Amino acid sequence: MDLTPAPVERTPVDLPPPRLGVLSRLAPDPVRLVLNWGRRYSLWVFNFGLACCAIEFIASSMAKHDFIRLGVIPFAPGPRQADLMVVSGTVSDKMAPAIKRLYEQMPEPKYVISFGSCANCGGPYWDSYCVTKGVDQIVPVDVYVPGCPPRPEALLQGILKLQERIAVENPAARYARKLPAAALGRPLVAPPTPPAGDAR
Amino acid sequence: MTARTVGVGIGADQLDTTDMVLNIGPQHPSTHGVLRLRLVLDGERIVSAEPIVGYMHRGAEKLFEVRDYRQIVMLANRHDWLSAFANELGVVLAVERMLGMEVPQRAVWARTLLAELNRVLNHLMFLGSYPLELGAITPIFHAFREREEIQAVMEEISGGRMHFMFNRVGGLKEDLPAGWIGRVRHAVATVRTRLSGLDDLVSGNEIFRARTRGVGVLTPALVAAYGVSGPIARASGVDFDLRRDEPYLAYGELADVLRVVTREEGDCLARFECLLEQVHVSLDLADACCDRLDELPQGPVNLRLPKVLKAPEGHTYAWTENPLGLNGYYLVSRGEKTPWRLKLRSASYNNVQVLTELLPGCLIADMVAILGSLFFVVGDIDK
Amino acid sequence: MTDSGMQLAAVGFGTDVWWLILLKAVLIFAFCVVMTLFAIWWERKVVAWMQMRIGPKYTGPQGLLQSLADGVKLALKEDITVKGADKAVYIIAPIVAMVPAFMAFAVIPFGPEVSIFGHRTHLQLTDLPVAVLYILAVASVGIYGIVLAGWSSGSTYPLLGGLRSSAQMISYEIAMGLSFAAVFLYSGSMSTSEIVAAQQDTWYAVLLPVSFIIYVVAMIGETNRAPFDLPEAEGELVGGFHTEYSSLKFALFFLAEYVNMVVVSSLATTLFLGGYLAPWPITAVWEGANSGWWPFLWYFLKVQAFIFVFIWLRGTLPRFRYDQFMKIGWKVLIPLSLVWLMLVATVRALKNEGYEQSRIVLWVAGGVVALLLLSILWDAVTPNRDEEADAKAAGPEPFDPMAGGFPVPPMPGQQLPPVPRRNVRKPEPVGAPAAAELPADRTEGEA
Repeated sequence: MDLTPAPVERTPVDLPPPRLGVLSRLAPDPVRLVLNWGRRYSLWVFNFGLACCAIEFIASSMAKHDFIRLGVIPFAPGPRQADLMVVSGTVSDKMAPAIKRLYEQMPEPKYVISFGSCANCGGPYWDSYCVTKGVDQIVPVDVYVPGCPPRPEALLQGILKLQERIAVENPAARYARKLPAAALGRPLVAPPTPPAGDAR
Repeated sequence: MTARTVGVGIGADQLDTTDMVLNIGPQHPSTHGVLRLRLVLDGERIVSAEPIVGYMHRGAEKLFEVRDYRQIVMLANRHDWLSAFANELGVVLAVERMLGMEVPQRAVWARTLLAELNRVLNHLMFLGSYPLELGAITPIFHAFREREEIQAVMEEISGGRMHFMFNRVGGLKEDLPAGWIGRVRHAVATVRTRLSGLDDLVSGNEIFRARTRGVGVLTPALVAAYGVSGPIARASGVDFDLRRDEPYLAYGELADVLRVVTREEGDCLARFECLLEQVHVSLDLADACCDRLDELPQGPVNLRLPKVLKAPEGHTYAWTENPLGLNGYYLVSRGEKTPWRLKLRSASYNNVQVLTELLPGCLIADMVAILGSLFFVVGDIDK
Repeated sequence: MTDSGMQLAAVGFGTDVWWLILLKAVLIFAFCVVMTLFAIWWERKVVAWMQMRIGPKYTGPQGLLQSLADGVKLALKEDITVKGADKAVYIIAPIVAMVPAFMAFAVIPFGPEVSIFGHRTHLQLTDLPVAVLYILAVASVGIYGIVLAGWSSGSTYPLLGGLRSSAQMISYEIAMGLSFAAVFLYSGSMSTSEIVAAQQDTWYAVLLPVSFIIYVVAMIGETNRAPFDLPEAEGELVGGFHTEYSSLKFALFFLAEYVNMVVVSSLATTLFLGGYLAPWPITAVWEGANSGWWPFLWYFLKVQAFIFVFIWLRGTLPRFRYDQFMKIGWKVLIPLSLVWLMLVATVRALKNEGYEQSRIVLWVAGGVVALLLLSILWDAVTPNRDEEADAKAAGPEPFDPMAGGFPVPPMPGQQLPPVPRRNVRKPEPVGAPAAAELPADRTEGEA
């Protein structure tokens, strides 16, 4: 079976500029307070469980640490319903396109928490040949949680920080900038060409 | 892509059906990690399956070559993040063997104890997440409560919740703190009493049994052909456990406590039962280690090492019974302070290969059950 | 049957003033939405308690406003229309899923006659002679929403989810309809208010326990809830039919699911648990339990009890596999309800003929015992298939591990000889002088 399909020339798809829901575009300031309250306490998480940190992510959703009480619901099955992406673990160059893609599939307003040293900067794999040194190279990150792996308490703190930020945010201003946030990232690493004669 | 004609006659060419190709992963709830499966489906039935690995490849083996022997331990415990202690152990055993070191007795027993606690931690993770994949959302919370108990004592001794970094070449980092053994006993007793609750919640459930019994039967022949090891192999009746068959650490003296859990059926239920039973065995072993540690006189737990640690020229292969299966470390040294090559034989890599044989003919729902019951860690596959 | 019950059934519907009808419609709509918000919060709380957590906490008292926060947030989200989607159908599907759920409420009786602003009126929007059939009809339209959503998303997971759900709902509707038939036989009517009135003495859950159980199973299947949540199976299909939906459209599906839960619970209450009538011990001690606005409370409590059962099941049970689920539907529920229906019909017919109660019971019990004996006899006469299969299974082919001089894996059908157990080395006391061991190991490694 064809494992690595022939490289297809892909022209970058021109994504439409993000448009917020009706409510947030038309809402006056006092209403925005309520809206921000809603966004603050309803963060459906799409967990990118990549490595060790994913276990600590799960641990922090469990009974002892329980971030669900903060309104963070970890049961968003796909990216379409998610508000928050937690990248927990080492991002390899092979995985990076999937992360970027799933990030783009999330509807605005969306937030990213980079959980753990690997996702922050490569961590112990700082000199590896196949690890993306920090997920912020491909998607914009709102909150970094340090540690290898960070304790669940650290994630709780990260979530609280994010919630504080959302509470005072003005969505209109957030999307006023011309450049999409993804444009700040670096291009993805191209997959190596398979050696000639490799049947797979 | 295969196309099958479903009718003959006028319009039959329009009735051709093609099989659907479904990519499971690399980010899919059931792969607990970033394994990718390329499935060819006929309706909901899987025609062929191919695991595509490498999404978690971090180049650990290459990095070993530029780390000295003390630093390697830190990387080695991260590839299989659920059995960090057991991974450290394999590396230090290999290096100690190269150096001809003799580890103090106290350290050997403490290592055995910690390795068994680590096994419990690992198994509890899967005991919780497996029902979750089958749609039962509650058991994982119970499993994690038990995990937190054990993790607490591990943290008390090592300072880490997951990556303990408690092994050193020639022994352990520090001696066991006073009173810690008592706390371990308490934690082990707590987990043991609550474990039956988890058992009742999951394995007594009719739906759970219906989903797992007779599903994904792994024959001993397949086990041998693919090099499957650990609880998965034992669930298929392959009675092989390094702890008994080639004892390392203090397992030789624990022979009367160590029961090797086997099942004959080789299906998902057998694998689950095997894992559950192994937790009980590990808890018994931990208790036995505690008893022994209480009797042992105080003494050193590590050896003095030279400032620059160099393994003599040569090569060795150390293998351990990791929670997920056989873990082997092939260490080649050219007499420098870094290994020339440290090859990892990780259990999950072999274990997932067998998916190609197990999945065809199953339904998608069975795929979830089988995938979950293979108890793999993606980092252990991709290294 | 008491007088009040007869009166109640006799009063016609459709005689209200227009503003009263409008008011009732708006109130029912509001009731549905509030119930949804409440049910979502209640579900989170109950599941959390089962999992030793505390559930949402920071949104209002006890996190009561959690579902409101979710709603606000979903309204704020960017509305994505997938490029590969069939646009018109993609947009219509969530509406198709939601509207029928609300429509079914038109015939649910919330209470008996009450006085609203001086007007005597039923706590029920309207009633039809075939109200239950109307609910069945409307509920099946709701399936289209899910099927179309799955199909129009232009993606594989939703497609599988949509197909699963259509098959599931269609097959469970049969069992559901059959369980209703027994109720119709007893009540002699399909009008919801009359069915409630007919339960003044005994609830049909007591009279027709088998129908009740079949309905409860079927209603969970109808609403795609655990353990029958196959169309949205998170672990398999990543959300199923609504994988590609976001923002308000997703919220509509969410709303539809919970309103559907309330609808089927209301229907179960109406048909089997005596609707708005007060439960037995209360009627015994309190005369006025069935008058005024009180019946609405009983109705509400009964519906809540059903919703609790929904949540309870979700918190405890794993998901069925698709074929097992279908097997239960077609091979257990439908035959069972057919047989039960026949029994009920026989009993009713004999009663109408004027036979005595005890003789009817005797006849029916005799028939059932005879059937059982026959089936046992059949089991004993037919040979056991497993034994045949065992007899057929021949020994495996011999396997030569060194065929052709090289080690080879077994061919299909060949059996690997058992792995020889390694010799257990003599356990040496660890830490004791084992100088001989280590170098020996090393040479072993170097060899």
